[in-house]
Amino acid sequence: MNIFQDNLDRLASRHQDLATAAKPAAGGVLTVEPARTGVPSARRSGRWIHSAYDPLREAQTWADTHAPACRSGEMVVVAGVGLLYHVEALRRKLAPDVSLAVLIPNLDEFHDALAARPLEAWSEAILWLPGAPAEIAATLTKIGRPLRCLSYAPAVAWDTDFHRALEEALRRDMSRQAGGQLTIALVGPIYGGSLPIARYVKRALETLGHTVQWIDHSVHAASYDAMGTLKDQRNRQMMQGRMAEVLSQWTLATLAESPPDLVLSMAQAPMTLPVLEHLRKKKFLTAMWFVENYRHLTYWQQLASGYEFWFVFQQGACLDAFRQAGARQVSYLPMAADPDLHCPMSITDEDRHRFGSDVSFVGAGYANRRRLFPSLLRQPWSFKLWGNEWDGADELRSVLQLNGARIDTATCMKVFNATTINVNLHSTTGVGLDPQADFVNPRTFELAACGAFQLVDHRSELHRFFTEQEMVSFKDFGDVPGLVHRWLNDSAARQAMADAARARVLSEHTYVHRMRELLGHIGLSQPDRVGSVLRGERQQESLLNRCTDDRPLEALLRDCPSGQRIELKDVAARIRSKGSTATLKREELMVLMLDEYRSETRDLL
Amino acid sequence: MPHEPAPEHRDLVIQLARLGDLVQTLPAIESLQEAYPERSLDVLCAAPLTGVLAAVRGIDRVIPWDGAQWRTWATRWQENPAATLQVMQHYLASLGDTMYEQVYPLNQHERSHLMTQLFLSHSSREQEQARIAARMHPWAQHLRHVARERGANRVHLADVWCGMCGVLPRGQAPSRVPPAVELPEDLAGIGKRHGLWVAVATGAGEADRCVAPVVWSQWIREFLAQTQDGQVVLIGSGTERETARAMLDSVPTLLHGRVWDATGRTNLSQLMLVLHKCDWVIGADTGPLHLGTLVGTRALGWYFSRARLHETGPYGEGHWVYQHATQTQPQQWPIKESIDLMCGDRVRSATDWSLWRSRMDRWGAYFDDGSGTQAVEHSRADIWRACAPALCESIAA
Repeated sequence: MNIFQDNLDRLASRHQDLATAAKPAAGGVLTVEPARTGVPSARRSGRWIHSAYDPLREAQTWADTHAPACRSGEMVVVAGVGLLYHVEALRRKLAPDVSLAVLIPNLDEFHDALAARPLEAWSEAILWLPGAPAEIAATLTKIGRPLRCLSYAPAVAWDTDFHRALEEALRRDMSRQAGGQLTIALVGPIYGGSLPIARYVKRALETLGHTVQWIDHSVHAASYDAMGTLKDQRNRQMMQGRMAEVLSQWTLATLAESPPDLVLSMAQAPMTLPVLEHLRKKKFLTAMWFVENYRHLTYWQQLASGYEFWFVFQQGACLDAFRQAGARQVSYLPMAADPDLHCPMSITDEDRHRFGSDVSFVGAGYANRRRLFPSLLRQPWSFKLWGNEWDGADELRSVLQLNGARIDTATCMKVFNATTINVNLHSTTGVGLDPQADFVNPRTFELAACGAFQLVDHRSELHRFFTEQEMVSFKDFGDVPGLVHRWLNDSAARQAMADAARARVLSEHTYVHRMRELLGHIGLSQPDRVGSVLRGERQQESLLNRCTDDRPLEALLRDCPSGQRIELKDVAARIRSKGSTATLKREELMVLMLDEYRSETRDLL
Repeated sequence: MPHEPAPEHRDLVIQLARLGDLVQTLPAIESLQEAYPERSLDVLCAAPLTGVLAAVRGIDRVIPWDGAQWRTWATRWQENPAATLQVMQHYLASLGDTMYEQVYPLNQHERSHLMTQLFLSHSSREQEQARIAARMHPWAQHLRHVARERGANRVHLADVWCGMCGVLPRGQAPSRVPPAVELPEDLAGIGKRHGLWVAVATGAGEADRCVAPVVWSQWIREFLAQTQDGQVVLIGSGTERETARAMLDSVPTLLHGRVWDATGRTNLSQLMLVLHKCDWVIGADTGPLHLGTLVGTRALGWYFSRARLHETGPYGEGHWVYQHATQTQPQQWPIKESIDLMCGDRVRSATDWSLWRSRMDRWGAYFDDGSGTQAVEHSRADIWRACAPALCESIAA
């Protein structure tokens, strides 16, 4: 009996193109060897993909772990091929109304699987997905079912680029389709650089049509600062720590008032691990956008396991470090700009005189900036330095503006717009350029969004965001005077580059783009919760479409404001608004009863 | 075919509270049956407790309410509201889909209010809701006052529920023969040997009302030492198994044959049978005490923390309660005193604990510490007259 040919014939009955493509594939990716139980197992590049002892039992365990989460009507997409034991076990475990698709990134590996063991009838109920990630994503999106992505880890390690590309494509598709309204609790910090970003995030989420509950801890900043005046370090730390705990509880109490679909914290948000664990126990979805250099601020290590989703603006080692610290899901999400605020503006002559210069820098007096900026003095152009924490930088005192006061956003925008060449030097605690230049700061996007020309120190990820026709970067600060000289005298080229950078930000790098991506990622991971809201399944129209034969429910839903997302609590509130003396219908009473039980499950405190 | 009474002749009592409260509802149910013998009475209670009412004469139907199921539906609603509404409708239909002319809701919460509306027949809904409100309002106010002031109230909760149903207490405690069920083989010997059998309720519904295992261990050791033929049965839920095991371990091995561990081993019906086979039940958990009194076992309660004997003491004649003087956790326990009382040697109070004996009269149950009953009866009569003047007038007439 020829296993390979039989499998090809079985496959060809439903997937002729795939069978045709798999037949001539060379194979040889998997080394097939018998397991202790006698059935075939396999290795790839020397590593076992299935158990060397009992692949069937191992696959069953994997399926038992993942099947309970899969819901009726979903399309479950499995990454990882191997000898398909796990796919078989999962298919047998799932209800018929759950569809199952398998990604095929490598036809040679698939050829090996077809040659190793017979595929039985279960394989006919699989949607096989070969091809490029973008095409697969388009196919899955077209099918229109909620997607649940599962990964068979031992078999995916060799195709990480493929899987990453597919995930990005799916996320993009989900973001594009997103039509539902989420309720998102946004937990801000008490103070610091992530506070304005929290405001941009809020505006972006609202622009996308979501409802934001802004839990603003900056209102407590004065008290926090007051504690900072305590001279005894232990007392100061204890008091500020206690205050952070109280604010964490305050967040909990606020969430209890009106439970959101997602709790999104910004870096430095006062959330403690016990509170995060409590929220997790109560089935709240939590996410953190950590807009800090993970090497400098390390408190994330204590919180890593607390959040369901982490988003960071550094890749590679950063992602690994978070995972090792216990983060369940960590994803890359770079910084951005808010074009409502970061935009070109007309500057009066007076403001141009006050805020303008040939060259300027806005920012705090980090060590590397103190060391490098003196080379910008005594040049044939004017140089102004804006920002705080420049105490002791005597050499730069002559160019320091406003006595080294902290610069607010409005002033910052005037400086950006009034300056001919903005220097953007990422901070480090060393004396030169950042030796680990693996993130791009918000300033890069903000300057670009203003249509302001900038010279930025080279970043390894800069090419992801801007081409060389959109942004000028330098790898040696000694090159800066020459670059200034060159661009100062070529206003047309400067303007063209600044315009191109602004167009790029508007089309790809705003906070709206980032929030779409963030929610797309969470929606993909949570197809039955955030995902279903994003797909618009909680909108009145969608609910009405799904209750065609249920007149009483239809009447209840029609009674709610049209075009809105409708939750149980909304229907209940609508019914209660009829007043305590109203005679309610049976289904109305049932909805109220259900709402009573719902509110009990959210008893947070 | 069994006769199905017309809706106008069917009434419903709603009691969604825990075990003890359900047992304490029986006086009201009996009074309703006595007052309206021509009407058929159903009772709706939490599904796991239906066994308590299974053997009660005169209840036409016991309707189980599955709260856990409703919690599941509450989370499923968003996925598919139409299907959820449909399954809820099927659930209500499975309960009989009967509409009642009169409903007696005994819980002061929104769910009970909604259930009343769900089960009241449309024709009488508005009128009956007004009647319910008028009947219940004074008693609800009275309960709120008692909860707030913790004053000298002497009307038992079971009798308040009679008042809420618009009937007077019958003046005698309900009594039931336990269901004829089998006990696990190793527990079948309970009550068969000669001697004083005492069931010890090892746990309590709330943590602050639990007696520490070390206290119960001491009680058991002293009881077994004092009585040559005394036997102890440990009762409680599955979560109390570990506590019971610890108690057993602290008892000398020679005495193990006189301690029976039934924690987590019985269902409700079997628990009733075990209690029935004992002479006494002692504990701080009111549920087993009430269940014990129902099957004819004498109860001795240790009431402390927020537990107050005048509202929730064992209902009937001849039960005893040690009431702690303050709401704080007791430092000393009436161990010797309660053993003496059970053995019939001596009846006495203990340091920080007062001793009360339950009695019955025409206003229901009350507790007496020997300081005089006249004033007590007056105060209870005053409350009845204030909360149910029409009922009191009918007695006078």
